[in-house]
Amino acid sequence: MPIRELSHRISLVFMLTLAAALLLLGRAETYVFDRARQVVTDMAAPLLELASRPVAVARRVVERTDEYAYVFDENERLRAENARLLAWKEAALKLEAKVARYEALLNVQVDPGISYVSGRVVSDNGGPFVDTVIVNVGRNQGAKSGDAVIDTDGVIGRVVATGDKASRVLLLTDLNSRVPVVIEPAHYKAVLAGDNTDWPKLEYLTSTSGISPGDRVVTSGDGGLIPPGLPIGLVIQTSDGFTRVQTFADRDRLDFVRVLQYEFPSQVARQDPPAVLKGPPVTSKPAEAAASEAPKPGAAKPATPPVGQTIQRSTAPGVIAPSAAKLAKPEAGAKPKKPAVAQTQPITPAPGAVPNTSMRPIPDPAETEEETPPPPSDITPGSADTPGTE
Amino acid sequence: MMARLDPYTPTPASRASRVVMMILPFIIGLFCVLLSFVPIGRIFGTSVMPAFALMAIYYWAVVRPDMFPVYAVFLVGLLSDLLSAGPIGLWAFVYVLTYTIVLTQRFLAVNAPFSVFWFGFLLAALVAGAISWGVASIIYGVILSVKPILMHMLVTVAVFPLMAFLFGRIERRILPSG
Repeated sequence: MPIRELSHRISLVFMLTLAAALLLLGRAETYVFDRARQVVTDMAAPLLELASRPVAVARRVVERTDEYAYVFDENERLRAENARLLAWKEAALKLEAKVARYEALLNVQVDPGISYVSGRVVSDNGGPFVDTVIVNVGRNQGAKSGDAVIDTDGVIGRVVATGDKASRVLLLTDLNSRVPVVIEPAHYKAVLAGDNTDWPKLEYLTSTSGISPGDRVVTSGDGGLIPPGLPIGLVIQTSDGFTRVQTFADRDRLDFVRVLQYEFPSQVARQDPPAVLKGPPVTSKPAEAAASEAPKPGAAKPATPPVGQTIQRSTAPGVIAPSAAKLAKPEAGAKPKKPAVAQTQPITPAPGAVPNTSMRPIPDPAETEEETPPPPSDITPGSADTPGTE
Repeated sequence: MMARLDPYTPTPASRASRVVMMILPFIIGLFCVLLSFVPIGRIFGTSVMPAFALMAIYYWAVVRPDMFPVYAVFLVGLLSDLLSAGPIGLWAFVYVLTYTIVLTQRFLAVNAPFSVFWFGFLLAALVAGAISWGVASIIYGVILSVKPILMHMLVTVAVFPLMAFLFGRIERRILPSG
């Protein structure tokens, strides 16, 4: 018996040490564990999906009974809202036509259309220290790491890991979530940083005086991962005076979501001034420097410095400095491997691009009806009583 | 126990049932981990979920530690870690440590009335919560908010009687003698 007792003690100590070692190792050997995670998640996803079905049904029943109690008030409210929205629709149509005309006039590079896959959230948040969910859309359906995920209310987060059949979505509220945003209408840029509370913070905000509670927060598209202009939430002020963001999407009521397969327009050959560094003949140096300088102001003017990368190529060199174009050409040709850099180049997209592209993703919810099997009516109630959105 | 089982020669069926008996608590533990990832809370419009695995660990650690060895606890924690996106090893460490602590204090709760058993679980949950909060704070390098883990553990303690009842049923079913 004492031997058994001893071996028991040893195994306790051994497992404790192993667990502690795992904690340290998990920080270093991330690849192995990420892989293990994907495998386990993939295996568990069908089970979780199966289990989440009755949960979804029960939820719908609870919500329905809730709705019956308020059906008249709700009807009243919706009528009023409908009247208001019709006015907005008129305004939106006019603006849309106007924007289309301006885009045509200025030859703006419009972002490519964004395709998406719909799926449903099959797991819970995953414990008190993380805010992630598992979505039953995987690599086989075309999801990839970095894709933005939205529901009918707005952005909920982005994909951080994909398996064959399921992906993990990092919610905006998670401690590790950082999303570049723009605060409208003042157009201040910031980074939306989660901290495991219900309301993410705004970091790297140049001036807090320019924004006020109630301002809209949308994605800025900086970094090229998440399409610009997606609605995120409203600026709120907490009781202790800090500025935070109340997301439109309610993380406690996530159900059907959409994984956006946004491709940042990365095929554009990047035109940085490399000639200065390589410098073939010394005499041509100033000319080239001037050439690479010259198109910039010209190109930046028409629309946007970001999309300017594109515009620069299509219009500026030809118009402004034909000789410069000639000099620049071989440079662009000599750097065919560069496009990869262009993709990761984070500073390129957007300030000016936001207004026109912001019109693009928002109409999406209208299409939800045909895409997601059950009607979005069971999602919208969630938005109706999202605290603080009123 | 061995002495009692020795006299008869085990048939394959009874041997199989003994194997099932030995691993059933472990299977229940794994099932509990999966259960805590099913978004049940969404029915009530909340995302706070109880730690079902902790209930299983506490229950078997007090009632029949021989049927839920430390290796099983470790694996249950590891599955928890792999399914959640948190730091790898966090729940494995917390569960094994809590299990060890509960084992040392086991004599207080065993054969005690249910209220004492439940109170013991409250303490165990608080210890587990404190350890996990501390470890996670160190790993993330920030002082994490206490509220989520506190809510998590309170819900866990609140749901415990229900699960303890279920575990008790299962235990009596598979262990008529125990």
